[in-house]
Amino acid sequence: MVARREGEPAPTRNRTTSERRSDRELVITRTFDAPARLVFEAWTTPELFKQWWVPKSSGATLLSCAQDVRVGGSYRLEFAHPTAATPMAFFGRYVEVVPDARLVWTNEESADGAVTTVTFEEKDGKTLLVMRELYPSKQALDLAIEGMDGAMPETFEQLDEFLLARGAGAEGI
Amino acid sequence: MRADASVTVLAERFHMTLTGMKKHIGVLEQAELVTTEKLGRVRTCRLGPRRLEEEAAWIENYRQLWDARFDALDTVIEELKRKEKRDGRKKRG
Repeated sequence: MVARREGEPAPTRNRTTSERRSDRELVITRTFDAPARLVFEAWTTPELFKQWWVPKSSGATLLSCAQDVRVGGSYRLEFAHPTAATPMAFFGRYVEVVPDARLVWTNEESADGAVTTVTFEEKDGKTLLVMRELYPSKQALDLAIEGMDGAMPETFEQLDEFLLARGAGAEGI
Repeated sequence: MRADASVTVLAERFHMTLTGMKKHIGVLEQAELVTTEKLGRVRTCRLGPRRLEEEAAWIENYRQLWDARFDALDTVIEELKRKEKRDGRKKRG
């Protein structure tokens, strides 16, 4: 254990929530103990983005990351994964860019890709991040759920192992 | 199409006899993949609790993926905070 300086609040783990809010929409939320401009900076600067987007536990490697964060600008992420023969690419365009407050981008790797909206709401020095993924139809979201379930079992299994191991560690078992 | 449907409609869609479709649905119902409800003379079929559980499990997996990502993001942000403190926010003027 690292000694904590006095007056510095002990960090509490912020909870990530996920829900299917409608037939077409998935919503993820999380609070960060930092002003919105820092969360936004970590999200929109490739050198920083690379450090957090791919959980080590996923087994995937981020090969490249390009982000032209302005309205109409494009992004492209390429991953390698031991179970995939060729790199996987994810790409699209930024539709809205409001510095420190809001990002909207398309996901164009499939015809039925979602439009992702991330908002950064700062209050009392903390930032509530809300990410909405709006699919073009109920069928598109249903297929994304079924497809990912089949395509990523290893990833999720590794992630499960990682989280279980860490959860057990945190409880001192 | 994904929606609630009567046994008659399902039988027509899959070109089966009513009796054949009833047997199929009976099996799916036992496996909790489908539930049925009889209103008047029409038996309506809808997706059962097993399907919903699978979706809930997927959403929980999805949450865990983002949770791991956001934990890593916390680390990046903490580093930014330390850097700002050190630099006294001079650069941002």
